[in-house]
Amino acid sequence: MKAAVFWGCRILTGQYGYEMSVREVLPKLDVELTDLREAICCGDPVKSVNDFAANYLGARVLALANHTGLCDMLVPCNRCHFVISEAKHLLETDEKTRSKVIGLLKEENLEYNPNVRIWHTIDLLHDCIGLNSIKKKIVKPLKDLKLAMHYGCQILRYDSLGRVDDAENPRKLDELVEILGAESLDYAEKLDCCGLALVYSHIDSALSLAGSKLKAIQALNVDGLIISCPDCGFMFDAKQKDSASVVGAKLNIPVLYYTQLLGLALSITQDKLGLHLNQSPVDQLLTKVSV
Amino acid sequence: MSLVDSMSMAKPNLEAREKILVKLHGRELLNCFQCMKCTSGCTALKLLELKPHEIEKLVNLGLVDELASSDIIWTCVTCLKCVQRCPQKASPYHVIMALRNLTVEREAKVPEAYMKAVSLILESGLAETAQKVATRTAQVCSRENLELPKISGPGASFQAVFLKALEER
Repeated sequence: MKAAVFWGCRILTGQYGYEMSVREVLPKLDVELTDLREAICCGDPVKSVNDFAANYLGARVLALANHTGLCDMLVPCNRCHFVISEAKHLLETDEKTRSKVIGLLKEENLEYNPNVRIWHTIDLLHDCIGLNSIKKKIVKPLKDLKLAMHYGCQILRYDSLGRVDDAENPRKLDELVEILGAESLDYAEKLDCCGLALVYSHIDSALSLAGSKLKAIQALNVDGLIISCPDCGFMFDAKQKDSASVVGAKLNIPVLYYTQLLGLALSITQDKLGLHLNQSPVDQLLTKVSV
Repeated sequence: MSLVDSMSMAKPNLEAREKILVKLHGRELLNCFQCMKCTSGCTALKLLELKPHEIEKLVNLGLVDELASSDIIWTCVTCLKCVQRCPQKASPYHVIMALRNLTVEREAKVPEAYMKAVSLILESGLAETAQKVATRTAQVCSRENLELPKISGPGASFQAVFLKALEER
């Protein structure tokens, strides 16, 4: 399969481990990725400032995807996935917004195509490639690993928009982890938010949200936390130490992107998966895997 | 004009309320029956005392002005649980976003980071600038070191058109 890929700001400017592992893993599963010709913002921070301009940016991403000639677009960031999906929905339902947006796009010689399908890493792997195809490619099963999942908010809610998995009981990431031979653990705080959106205005509250969730996960005695959103990666991995001091706990939870974990099962080297960039103590999990 | 909030002496501003309703692309806000499902599951309730059902009620009564100048609308974590769970599709998240937009239009106080993001997008297309990151063994890496492709920004026409989009209300 061929797909366009829109990375969004946070992956391109800092969460390099996610980008590297997606670029490594998907071709191994016969997905050929084509970058959009321009890197732009999906419109997320603009939503708070001017909703129309935010939807314009979302539609502009879809127009750039249309320019690649491909009908499928991977958006590995939860927040971008939501913002672009909402822009698409609004353009489908609101005639006035649609004609204004299409007019502005024309000024840039861009054409909106409502038929571009939007995928996230999780549903692309689970629904499009399929669990069986992934299973066939596994070289190194990840046995004896107990892992907790964090889906992130914006690929699950709200379901009238058409989201990646069930809003209250998501299973796809769990199944994707189980297919690698590892065990996924359910826990009460599974749907809790990482707090990222508060980083810019209420940093202590943001860290407290991330820290409380990590504290609950640590009590499960798991080998690691699996994520698939760069915002959540920023909070749980890069900001794990800061969160620990805000909630007054000693936290040492290895945090990995699902694509990094999958890469390990496909026997891709750690450096290629960007595993040296994770700030959380992933070495303890990596040692267990390489034995 | 009969209604005045006796705690704050605030008066309803029905024009501002109408503006919010237009921004919502629908009038479901009027259907809120104060079941408080939004507030009981709100991520920002415990830490920052955000009570989405109160915001719904205040906007419905037209008490928009105080909300639009209040810090409380900037405490939403955008976890979208309220949108998902609202039985009336009154969607507090979207009401909060509409209030934020109104605050920006009025040139009232907005957390700096949002306006900074907009100017960065105008400048480069992205809301953030590429960071150098350190490995766990404190080696500094850039996109280039990691053999990641160069970031190519939008064409010259982008800035003018995006500015036009920002002028839309």
